[in-house]
Amino acid sequence: MTSTSPLPVRIAKTLLICLPLLLATPSKAHAYADPGTGAFVYQAAYAAFLGGTYYFRRFLDRLWGKRK
Amino acid sequence: MTVAHDPAPSTPRSFRDPAGTLIEHHGRILRVVYPQAAADLESFLETAAAREGMESGKLVRSVRIPASEFPEGSADYVVEHERIPFASYPYEWPPEMLHAAGELTIELARRALADGFGLKDATPYNVLFRGSEPVFVDVLSFERRDPLDASWMPYAQFVRTFLLPLLAARHFGMPLDRVLAGARDGLEPETVYRWAGAFQRLRPPFLNLVSIPTWLKGRESAAMYRPQPSSSAEKAQFVLEGLLKNCARHLKALAPPVSDSTWSGYLDHKSLYSAEQLAQKEGFVAEALALARPHTVLDVGANEGHFSSLAAKQGASVVAIDSDPAVVGSIWRRAKREHADILPLVVDLTRPTPAIGWRNQECAAFLDRARGRFDMVVMLAVLHHVLVTERIPIQQVLELASELTREYVLIEFVAPDDPMFRRIVRGREGLYSHMTQAWFEAAAAERFDPVRTKRIDGLNRWLYLFRRRGAPNS
Repeated sequence: MTSTSPLPVRIAKTLLICLPLLLATPSKAHAYADPGTGAFVYQAAYAAFLGGTYYFRRFLDRLWGKRK
Repeated sequence: MTVAHDPAPSTPRSFRDPAGTLIEHHGRILRVVYPQAAADLESFLETAAAREGMESGKLVRSVRIPASEFPEGSADYVVEHERIPFASYPYEWPPEMLHAAGELTIELARRALADGFGLKDATPYNVLFRGSEPVFVDVLSFERRDPLDASWMPYAQFVRTFLLPLLAARHFGMPLDRVLAGARDGLEPETVYRWAGAFQRLRPPFLNLVSIPTWLKGRESAAMYRPQPSSSAEKAQFVLEGLLKNCARHLKALAPPVSDSTWSGYLDHKSLYSAEQLAQKEGFVAEALALARPHTVLDVGANEGHFSSLAAKQGASVVAIDSDPAVVGSIWRRAKREHADILPLVVDLTRPTPAIGWRNQECAAFLDRARGRFDMVVMLAVLHHVLVTERIPIQQVLELASELTREYVLIEFVAPDDPMFRRIVRGREGLYSHMTQAWFEAAAAERFDPVRTKRIDGLNRWLYLFRRRGAPNS
């Protein structure tokens, strides 16, 4: 994972992680919302994303690393 | 309870921790660990991560002591901690120090992860500074983790207490005390969202740390807080490593920039003293230090920390305070570079940090921590600011100095005809024209005996080394 990819790529990557979540879950804006839950949800989403990349990485490893 | 009365009571705030409580017992720092947490702590202290941490000084040295040494009866597992000489709180740190504390937190979390332990809270109150070095002191923050658990619960707290205050400091110039003194748990993304401009909200770091959490607010379900096991331990470790690396990246992006423009207060030195005059001042300070041989020094209005450095080189432990965070940040950078025993804090002596927290007892006031703790208090090129800008009566300033020091006070007196004095007076000379050298010496004579005096050639400034009357003979 690079830390210095160009700005539009970074924005796109971030939105890619979070848009599905934003669209899929209903906003409980009128209910009591505990402050700080937003960051927690972000963390959960990012963890899920990383979980996905884990399988992808493993696939690549098998292709290049472990095979050789 | 047989706790010796201490002028700086430490941490009754450990009442929140479900795993144990911190006690000060006759000057020793002891942690009583409750039975359900003892096994975890024992295992943690034996991990390679903990050993390396304690050896390098990054993790507070902790040793189990036999329960018999601690006579309070029911305690089974008691650990003694290395004592950090001067406690300081995040709202007293410049952004550079908060950043260093954040880096240390992530570093230890990653290291402990490899040994099967997770960090259960990520707040700057877990960190104290030994001189300029951050030390992680809350060993009970580490707990044995479920190998299949891929979530890091304290992420949001890390964002609120480290990342967002650093972001506010960097992008809005907001001093940390404004953000951290009022709220124990830091800054909410929603708050920062309101401050940010429309385009700012769409760019990193705002996008990830501020905007998206704000947009996602209210979309959580109770299910999210329940541990969601991963399919394999390896995957869980990969995910957690990734999360922590992400935090490290954010930290790096929010590192306080090195500011060259630390000239607030530099005017005092750079423009007002010629090289020869500065050398005279330095010579006097060196002489005073050699005479007094202080173990501990409080440098008030330390500015660039030049004289703190002199004291540290002479072997003293220095606490350097100044009200300007930029300047305190540069003292810290320099101290870190030179491995100097200087703890720089953002404290205004005329409006010092109050006691904060539950019942105003969790975090001690600066003066309570400082009283009687220093062999020498240094007040160079600062007295006139206190007398003129803050209009504190001279007797009160000297009284405070005599409370803070155990023995010596090194003070620079600036007369009303000095150019800097005239500048800060802003035309109201009449109010201050009585502040002559004779007037100052008379006020000081009430509490102090002069040991050495010197006038800086060509300036209306005098340096004094005073000894507090009633100080024990060394």
